[in-house]
Amino acid sequence: MDLSSYLLVGAVLFVAGVVCMATKRNGIGVLMGVELVLNGANINFVAFANYTRLGLDGQVISLFVIVLAAAEAAVALAIALSFYNNHLTIDVDQANQLQG
Amino acid sequence: MTGHQLLFWVFAAVTCGGAIAVVLTQNVVRMAFWLIVSLGASAGLFFLLNADFVGTAQLLVYVGGTLVLLVFGVMLTASGPFSKMQTRPGELFLAGVVAILLLGLLGSSVCSVEWDRVIAATNSGHQITNQQSLNHGFNRPEEGNTGHPLGMAFLGMRPDRDLVAGNKTLSTGYLLPFEIASVHLLVVLIGAAYLARAKRRVHPNEL
Amino acid sequence: MDPQTLQTTGLTLKWLLTIAWLLPLLGFVVELIGGGWVWGRYSKNAAYLSVMCIVTGFVCSFIALMTWGNATEWSALKDHGATHGTSHAEPSRHASGVDAHGAPKPAAEAAHGHDDHAKPVAKDAAHPAHDDHAKPAAAVHVAADHAHGTPHHAAPKVVFTGIFYRLAQFGSLDISLSYYIDSLTLVMFTMVTFIASCIHIFAIGYMSEELTDNYADHQVHTSHGHLHRPGRFHRFFSFLSLFCFSMLGLVLAGNIFQVFIFWELVGVCSYFLIGFYTERKSASNAANKAFIMNRVGDFGFLIGLMIVWTWFGNFQFGDLPAHGQTQPGLFSMVRGNDGQMKLHVPESGQAEVVFKNQDNHIQTKPNGEQRTIPYWLLVAAGLGVFGGCIGKSAQFPLQTWLPDAMEGPTPVSALVHSATMVAAGVYLVGRFYPMFTPEVLLVIAYIGAITLFLAATIAVVATDIKKVLAYSTISQLGYMMLGLGLGGWAAGLFHLITHAFFKSLMFLASGSVIYGCHHVQEMPQMGGLRRKMPLTAYTMLVGVIAIAGLAIPYVTLPGGEPIAFSGYHSKDAIVATALTYMNLNGHHLLFFLPLAGAGITAFYMFRLWFYTFAGEPRDKEVYERAHESPWVMVGPLVVLSFFAAFCAFGGEKGLLFKLLLDSEPASVPGGYVAQTEYLSQGLLNLKLPSHEAIHAKHDRAGTLALIMAFVGAGCAYLVYGVRWVNAAEIKQQFSGIHRFLVNKWGFDEFYDMLFVKPTHVVAGWCSAIDRVIFDGFLHASAKAAVKVSDWDRQFDETIVDGAVNTVGNWTFAIGRSLSVVQTGRMRNYVMFIAVGLLGIFALLIMFFPN
Repeated sequence: MDLSSYLLVGAVLFVAGVVCMATKRNGIGVLMGVELVLNGANINFVAFANYTRLGLDGQVISLFVIVLAAAEAAVALAIALSFYNNHLTIDVDQANQLQG
Repeated sequence: MTGHQLLFWVFAAVTCGGAIAVVLTQNVVRMAFWLIVSLGASAGLFFLLNADFVGTAQLLVYVGGTLVLLVFGVMLTASGPFSKMQTRPGELFLAGVVAILLLGLLGSSVCSVEWDRVIAATNSGHQITNQQSLNHGFNRPEEGNTGHPLGMAFLGMRPDRDLVAGNKTLSTGYLLPFEIASVHLLVVLIGAAYLARAKRRVHPNEL
Repeated sequence: MDPQTLQTTGLTLKWLLTIAWLLPLLGFVVELIGGGWVWGRYSKNAAYLSVMCIVTGFVCSFIALMTWGNATEWSALKDHGATHGTSHAEPSRHASGVDAHGAPKPAAEAAHGHDDHAKPVAKDAAHPAHDDHAKPAAAVHVAADHAHGTPHHAAPKVVFTGIFYRLAQFGSLDISLSYYIDSLTLVMFTMVTFIASCIHIFAIGYMSEELTDNYADHQVHTSHGHLHRPGRFHRFFSFLSLFCFSMLGLVLAGNIFQVFIFWELVGVCSYFLIGFYTERKSASNAANKAFIMNRVGDFGFLIGLMIVWTWFGNFQFGDLPAHGQTQPGLFSMVRGNDGQMKLHVPESGQAEVVFKNQDNHIQTKPNGEQRTIPYWLLVAAGLGVFGGCIGKSAQFPLQTWLPDAMEGPTPVSALVHSATMVAAGVYLVGRFYPMFTPEVLLVIAYIGAITLFLAATIAVVATDIKKVLAYSTISQLGYMMLGLGLGGWAAGLFHLITHAFFKSLMFLASGSVIYGCHHVQEMPQMGGLRRKMPLTAYTMLVGVIAIAGLAIPYVTLPGGEPIAFSGYHSKDAIVATALTYMNLNGHHLLFFLPLAGAGITAFYMFRLWFYTFAGEPRDKEVYERAHESPWVMVGPLVVLSFFAAFCAFGGEKGLLFKLLLDSEPASVPGGYVAQTEYLSQGLLNLKLPSHEAIHAKHDRAGTLALIMAFVGAGCAYLVYGVRWVNAAEIKQQFSGIHRFLVNKWGFDEFYDMLFVKPTHVVAGWCSAIDRVIFDGFLHASAKAAVKVSDWDRQFDETIVDGAVNTVGNWTFAIGRSLSVVQTGRMRNYVMFIAVGLLGIFALLIMFFPN
């Protein structure tokens, strides 16, 4: 298998994540979209690590991404909980205080 | 059709299908399920790419940790177990169009690059060709068994690079980013606990 | 007299007089500072301080006079007449002046001949000590006007002169504060300080009404009745002190420029004091009038100063050591030491006066020519300086300010406008006497004669008690000028001193009357006051008799002296001079005017006394409220009346006259005869009478004057004393003349027509030009500026502001429209990112297809 196949899979994951972020009104769904995007990126890193001279560095970066994604998920969930406590809903469309 | 190719197609199909299912599903619990499927399959892809440690970490952290966390979130925030928040059809349509365009863009970009030439161009120069120099359990990344070199890299040493014969200088490792990530996780732990703590509603007459 | 004594005497006199001079200045400063703030309005400290200063000044002056007398062994008091008459080797010197009908011998030549020998011994000895010209110099001159006999027999004229402080020096020209002390200075100092002391003490009583925070001025009417203002007791006394300082400085001054400085200071003090009741319109007008009239005279003074400065290059009166040698003063330059001018007629034909040294040698320029001044310029300088004296002494035609100056408080009238300041003009004529040519003296005499007659006639019809005295002052000043102009130097100054005493006495007495009658000044409202205020009445009577010049005829004292008060002696001297002068030169008016004046003087003075003190009261109310003044006011009256009566005791053989005679310029005693060889140059053929000649005419003139005085006094007694003739009827009969006199000969109207009205007309033109042209131009330009700025505003508001506002509105609208995009929804933003990314790539592909 060649590099571009993996890259295409990553692209599909990325696009799916973006669409997920853009369409889900549930805050948790948005978070899941973020995880998809990050995972798409991870696949690209690992693929490049395997096929190019990037080598071990790509895997290291993907590990960092995984760790940070986990951290991000924790914080985002905490934010979602806090939001829910205040608004009694998880609908992100209710969080529009930044409207111009 | 080698076994590697077969496995690739299977894992790729499951990964992409799961991701699309996440997008299309409206129920948040099912979304979580499909996300597990997608992430698990992508871990399989990592194994195919000889990144055994990363794949393991993917399974442990994402599938085992993050998604449990997400499901907890779902349960904590759900006003009803199957609550739905419907997206407007116009938005969905627009998102679909954008998604197709974006995918087309990315796909065309990927396909328009001649990767072999790129790889050949980047590997010229210091191509690690001397197989004999890498021994004692230190493989090249594409040969798998990456747990040992990754651990050394996080401790600041690069045997995968420095054990080449005639090498005079030491490459940099990832000790500092590793430490930063550790502290970062601690901060996240505290911050998340702070944000998510239960609010004590204090009544005035309790004071 | 040995030189050492002279020098120490000079220093003693200098410091005594300096103390007497500067003390009032100190007093002025302290009173000015202390009066308002430290002592407060109820305190009399200012008065006490000022009295203390002036009394100390008097004591110093008196000690100075005594010191001077002791140093000169009172040689001045030894019988001059006898000395001149008997010990003189050449009687022809004096006889030549007397002999009017014979051929006038050149007396100057005779004097020349023997005065050359009489080199002043003391002078040479005194000079070497002061050779350093940088140091304030001092010198003692013994100008010998004695005959060539042995020096210790005759009385040398002793002058102490020197420089206090050199203000500026331009080559040989220098401006300095200097002093010139002779017997005239000393007598003036003593007289001024004494009279000022009396008047200061009197003023403590007279001005006591000012010791309040709320002085009601009944002559100023405001919308709420009378004006009420804080009292100005201390201010009055500080001005009096400043005046005394200025007057003493004027007397002490050793050069004509310094005289001018103090002359102006005196004028300023006079201005302050006339305008003391500054809220009264009449008072401030009078102050202005006095000041402006004086400026007219001072213009002449300045011209005189310029001529002196340009041609003599020297302001000093006396000789001073400078640059290692003696710099001759003005007097020596013109007259040498024999008192005679040396005339010289060059080829061009204009007469010139040759400058001499103090030892009578002719001054030469470096190229050997004589230093000279054109004769007509010397005449002009003399006339110019005399112009200043006309202003200051209120002589015709500048006499109109003095009656108006009576608006000031009465002590001011007494001190400033009768006894001292107005006498400054006379004093200056006396001091500057050697610089005057016979022509100038003739002018002085005529001015004096006209003034005395004119003022006397006006005084006859004046009804304000102070105005009568004011006109009387002018008239008496005219007498002094006349005396000086006729060559009776000592007579004029003699009258100055005696007049100062009896006129200050009368003014203070009138002040006492005004005070007692609660500020009623009109004589027709008085009458019979002698019963209410006897001391004032009888001291006043002493003054009246003195000024009228009454004496008891045919009764003489053992020394051959007539029984008479001071005015008799001094006026007698002037009339005698006038008679002699008339006999020598013609000019009959110069004798008959003063003679008539003597009668008129007696008439109006007795009229005043009878009007005020005798008869029945005319206004019951005023009479009832009248009272005698307190002792602080009456005391000075008594003291002054004593001096008014007896200061001239002995007449021309008396102490005062001889003291003055000691300072007489060397040219005077022998008379002066114009040199016949220059008469063709247009100089007047004038002969000034000598002492001998005057003495010869004395009895006749005295008798005539006495008769006139008795006639005048008798008329007054008939009209106002026993009211034998009704004054009102006389007034009716001569209503034309009366009106003419009440209008003061129409001088005010004349000046009004001649100067004020044209000035108003010209000012009207100027203001019209201002209004029409300049104001028009200004207004037009202002309107144009307004118009332009209006346009500017329109431009600003529509275009500049419009542009800014439009841009702002656009920006706002665009921002508002763009804000729609900011939905605040995270999902939308994600979509925007994606769309944006697509857009960027779309653009990339569009523009970079490869």
